[in-house]
Amino acid sequence: MIVADKKPIEEIIEELGTHEKILILGCNECVTVCEAGGKKEVGILASALRMYFLNQKRDVKIDEETLQRQCDHEYLEEIRDRVDRYDAIVSLACGVGVQFAAEKYFSTPVYPGVNTCFMGATEERGLWTERCQGCGQCILARTGGICPVSRCAKRVLNGPCGGSTDGKCEINKEIICAWQLIIERLKALDRLDDYEALSPLKDWSTDRAGGPRKVVREDVQP
Amino acid sequence: MGLQKKIESDDFAILVEMEPPKGADVSSMVNNAQKVKGMVDAFVVPEMSNAVMRMSSLGGAMILESRGLETVMQLNCRDRNRLALQADLLAANGCGVSNVMVVKGEEPGFGDHHQARGVYDIDLVELLQVINGLQRGRDMAGIELNGAPQFLVGSTVEAGARDKSPELILEEINRLNQAGTRFFITPPLFDLAAIEAVWQRVDRETTKIIPTVLLLKSLGMARYIARNVSHTFIPDALIERIQSAPDKVRECLDIASETVGTLKQEGFSGVLLATIGWEDKLPEILKRI
Repeated sequence: MIVADKKPIEEIIEELGTHEKILILGCNECVTVCEAGGKKEVGILASALRMYFLNQKRDVKIDEETLQRQCDHEYLEEIRDRVDRYDAIVSLACGVGVQFAAEKYFSTPVYPGVNTCFMGATEERGLWTERCQGCGQCILARTGGICPVSRCAKRVLNGPCGGSTDGKCEINKEIICAWQLIIERLKALDRLDDYEALSPLKDWSTDRAGGPRKVVREDVQP
Repeated sequence: MGLQKKIESDDFAILVEMEPPKGADVSSMVNNAQKVKGMVDAFVVPEMSNAVMRMSSLGGAMILESRGLETVMQLNCRDRNRLALQADLLAANGCGVSNVMVVKGEEPGFGDHHQARGVYDIDLVELLQVINGLQRGRDMAGIELNGAPQFLVGSTVEAGARDKSPELILEEINRLNQAGTRFFITPPLFDLAAIEAVWQRVDRETTKIIPTVLLLKSLGMARYIARNVSHTFIPDALIERIQSAPDKVRECLDIASETVGTLKQEGFSGVLLATIGWEDKLPEILKRI
């Protein structure tokens, strides 16, 4: 899933400036799972903003709404009949949702309410860690299901590097060296021959390096 | 007279583009440059233009400087992060390069290593701010330098480009001026009318505009640019002139010389001559200016 983190409320207040009718728009997908932008967080942010504006003696209307998704036309359309009632939207969706909402409601300012961080997994409640950078050419088959692109600080494809000590990364002793994990996993799979094979040069054109990307699937297009 | 003094004193500066080789043999680059020594104020050394891998601009500039030839080293944000950019700026200045020109740099996908990952750690305006900081004696981390480099700083601006609004160009010039840019190189210019809207409104005291004059090599090249290079305008009359000329190469050389002459007459700060592979023709063009 896409993992996001809450933005400091001071930053959101600054973004909102003098707006007086604000819709806080949550998303029921990834940001709900990572507890940054779901219905519960929409309620918490709305309450905090109401208290702030009350203390400021400012009459600001704050409404709440949470959509199933903000990255799909059909769900974003659900607010079309009432979007004109607001002079700003704070979207608690990931950056995709914020942009899609901004594209759809072109004359309404849409502000981000979260910082979108990475694609990752829930290790335990309150702890999410990165697993994928969306490089567009998955190499997990030959690295034992552990991704050096997203989990090695240097994105080393023929690791480990000289900074790996006792299975830990040189940038932080709490980070397990991705290549240590790869070796252990390949050993467990009895596939250490894969480790000895040199990785071919990576084609980064499928990564963000080639500019904004798209996936076209003619077989499912209407 | 050095390039900086020439630009400051409003003399017409003649810059020549000198691509470093795709390989380690620098003899052609050095020979071509030495043939026009004394006729040129500085050699602009591109930074892997069109994202085609070749010798670095730092290497090319150092080689020319070591032969007593003044250079303008191009620098872009595509291939290096902030550490390497600062390091190379210090290396350049330490080796005698005193002019730099920051450029946007084409995406790797345009070049011959299209699987490369672009860096873009900082952008062009940030890079200008970095250069300012280094000149004040501090690096990006705020740490004091043991000797501050000093540069004449230039950049590019799309003045004269067919599809660019003059207002936006003027705004960009102001922004880059504020960030420390002292001279601006334009894309290839074949018709003064294309740059007129910017030229008439720009503050010529603070903004030194140096148009590029690109040597056309053939009728085909002229037609190709006119049809396919969206931002470059080549008038039909110019194409007809090449078409009807008995010696087309001679005509193209004449066109380049005449364009440089016109720019000088109009009061531009200088010209950048780009001959893309025909650097051996430079003496002929320069003699006729």
